[in-house]
Amino acid sequence: MAFCSRWCFCVLIVLAVCLPSGQARAEEEALDLQTVLDQAKPGETIDLQPGTYEGPITINKPLTLRPEREGEVILRNGSLQPAISISADQTTVAGLHIIDEAVKEAPTVLVTGDRVVLEGLQIRTGADGIVVRDADEGVVTRTTIDWAAEGVRMADKGNGIDLFNAHRWRMLDNTIRDVHDGIYMESSDNASVSGNVIERSRYGVHCMYTKGTMIERNVGMLNVTGAMVMTARQVSVTGNTFAKQSENVNSQGILLYDAHETIVADNTVDGNRVGLYVEQSTGNRLENNRISYNFIGIQLLESHENTITANQFFGNVADAQARGSESNALSGNYWDSFRGIDADGDGKSDISYAINPFFQGMTQKRPAFQLFFQSPGMVFLEGLYQTERDRWSTDSAPLMAPPDGGLQIGAMDGGSETGVAGFVLLGCSSLLFYRMRRRGT
Amino acid sequence: MSEIGYVAAREMKIGFRNPWAYSFTALFALFMLSLLLINAQGYVKGYSGSSSTMLNLALYLLPLMALMLGSFSLTGEKEEGNWELLSTYPLGTWAFLTGKYIGLSAVLLAIVAFGFGLSGAAGWLLGGGFDVSTYRQLLVFSVSLSLFFLGAAMLVGTIARNRWQALTIAVGVWFFAVIAWPSILIAALGMMPYPWIKPAVTALTFLNPAELTRLFTVVKLGGGSTLGPEYYNWMVWIRSPWGTAVFLGVMMVWIGLALAVAYSLWERGRGRD
Repeated sequence: MAFCSRWCFCVLIVLAVCLPSGQARAEEEALDLQTVLDQAKPGETIDLQPGTYEGPITINKPLTLRPEREGEVILRNGSLQPAISISADQTTVAGLHIIDEAVKEAPTVLVTGDRVVLEGLQIRTGADGIVVRDADEGVVTRTTIDWAAEGVRMADKGNGIDLFNAHRWRMLDNTIRDVHDGIYMESSDNASVSGNVIERSRYGVHCMYTKGTMIERNVGMLNVTGAMVMTARQVSVTGNTFAKQSENVNSQGILLYDAHETIVADNTVDGNRVGLYVEQSTGNRLENNRISYNFIGIQLLESHENTITANQFFGNVADAQARGSESNALSGNYWDSFRGIDADGDGKSDISYAINPFFQGMTQKRPAFQLFFQSPGMVFLEGLYQTERDRWSTDSAPLMAPPDGGLQIGAMDGGSETGVAGFVLLGCSSLLFYRMRRRGT
Repeated sequence: MSEIGYVAAREMKIGFRNPWAYSFTALFALFMLSLLLINAQGYVKGYSGSSSTMLNLALYLLPLMALMLGSFSLTGEKEEGNWELLSTYPLGTWAFLTGKYIGLSAVLLAIVAFGFGLSGAAGWLLGGGFDVSTYRQLLVFSVSLSLFFLGAAMLVGTIARNRWQALTIAVGVWFFAVIAWPSILIAALGMMPYPWIKPAVTALTFLNPAELTRLFTVVKLGGGSTLGPEYYNWMVWIRSPWGTAVFLGVMMVWIGLALAVAYSLWERGRGRD
C-alpha cells in the first residue's frame, strides 16, 4: 500500500513537470492518469496534483479521486467518450474541473455504479453533464454544470443531471446553467433535490414517472419552467423559489401534469407567465405558496380533488383561470384583486371568490383569441358571462388579509429617476397651462 | 407652414382656456392618483396586475377624452361660424386640419403629462411608485393612444354637423373600439372557418388603435408570452428594435389616413358652400 501510493506520487510529480510541454504529450498524460487509476487498489484515495489531465478516464473499482490541495485540477476531454465513466460502486470524485466541450451523444460524467459521490465538480459540457443509469443512492453536491458549446438550440442541448432508473439519489447545492433540463429524473424514485440553483435552462427540475421525489429550497430563474412534475406520485415541492419564467409562451413556475398525492407548499413563485399550472392532476395539496406578479397566478385544468389553501396571490395580471375543475377544495387563499365582506370578523370573507372559466374555455377552442387577454373589453365580457356559476372553481372562504401581513416591497431601482421625471413633467405641463392662460387674457 | 403654425397657436390658446381641458386634467390626475393609492404597498414594474389595471383604465379614459376634445373643437368651429369666417382668409383646409391636430395634441399631451407627472412625483414621495422603464412605457402608451384617437376625432368632428352629433359618434366609436371590440370579434369570427380566424384578428387589430397600442405596450412590458403560441412571432418581432419603428410608422400612416379622409370630406363640403 505504502509503496503504491509513493509510486502514484512519483507519477504525479512527473506529470506535473511534464504539463507545460503541451499538446505532443497529451496522449501520454492521458495514459498516465488512466494507468494510475488502473494500478490503484480498490478503496484507495488518489490525490491529484494541480494541472491539466486528458480524458477520457474510466473508473471500474471503488476509488476516491480528488485534488491533492486546493487548486485547479483540470480534466480535459476531446474524445466522443464520456470524460469520466464510473462503473464501480462507492466511488468518489471531487473537486475536478472537467472541460468537455464537444457536442456529442455521450455525457460528460457517466455513472453506472451505486453509492457514487460527485462533489464540488465544475463541469463545462457540450453534452449531458452527469448521466446516471441503473445506479442507486449516489450523491451530487456543490457541483457546477455549464453549457459550453455556442450556437446550439435549447432543444438540442443536454441535461444537467439526468437520472434513469436511479433511486434514492441526493442532489444538493448544485448550480446548473444554460442546459436543456437542469435535473431530469425518469423512473427514479425517492430522489432528494435541494438547494440547487438552475438558470436559463428549459425545465429546472423535471420528474417523469417518479415517486417520492423531494424538491426543496431550490431556486429557478429564467427557465422555461421551474419545476415540472409529470406523471408522478407523492412528490414534495417545498420552499422553492421560481422566478421570471415568463419569456416562453409555455412558461410556468411550477407545473403539475398527471401528478397525484403531491405536496406543493411554501414556495415563492414570482414573475412567471403562469405561477402554478395544474392539469389532469388529483389529490394534491397546494398550500402556503406566495404567487406574485405572474401573468396568471394559478391555472387549473381538468384537475380534481386537490386541496388549495392558504396561498397568497399578489399583483398577478389574472389571479386564476380554471376549466373543468370543480371538485377541488379551494378555500382560505388570499387574492389581492378580490374585495370580500367579513361580517363575522373571522378574517375570512363571507362571499366566495369564483374563477370565471369564460376566457379559458374560449381560448382553448380558438387560441387566436388569446390576444384579448385582460383587454378592457374582455374584462367587460367576462363580467357579463355568469352561466352555470355553481360549476365554477370557487374559493369558498377567501382571506380578507394576507396571512403574514403582506408582501415585502422589492428593490426599488430607479424610483428616484421616476420621481424626477414626474416632477419635470408636472412642472412643464403646469408652466404651459399657466402661460397659455396668461397669454389669452 | 406659417398657416399651420397660426392655426395651431390659436387652437392651443382656445384649448388651454377651454373648461373641458381642465375638467379632463382633473379627472385624469385624480384617476392616476387613485390607482397609485390602490397600489400603495406595491411597486409598479413590468407587466403585472397593477400595470395591467393602469393600462385598462387609461384605455377607458384617454380615447374618450381625445375623441371629445377633438371632435368638439371642429364642430365648434362649424356651429359658431368661425369656419365661415376662416374660409374667407387665404387658409387651406390642410393647414387648418393639421394646425388643429397639432394644437389639440399639445393640449392633450399637457393633460397626460400633468397626470403622469403628478403620479410619478407622488409615487416617489410616498415611497412606492413606478419602475422607471415601466413608467416610460406607460407614458408612451398614453401618448400614443391620445394621438391615435385625436386622429379619429378629427374624422368624427368632420362628419358630425354639431356638438351633439359629435358626442354621439365619439361615444359610439369609443364603445366599439374599447369595450365591445372582443365581443364583436368573437361573435363575428366565431362563425368563420378556423384557419381564417387568426389572420382576420391580426388584420382587424391594425384597424383598432386601442387594441394595437395595448398589445404593443403589453409586449414591451415583457408580457408577450400571455398572447400564447399563436402570436409568438409577433412577440419576438415587437420586442426587437424594429418593433418600435414599425409601430411609429403604423401610427403615422393611421393618423395621416384619418386626416386625409377628413381633408377630402372637408374639401367636398367647402365646394358645396
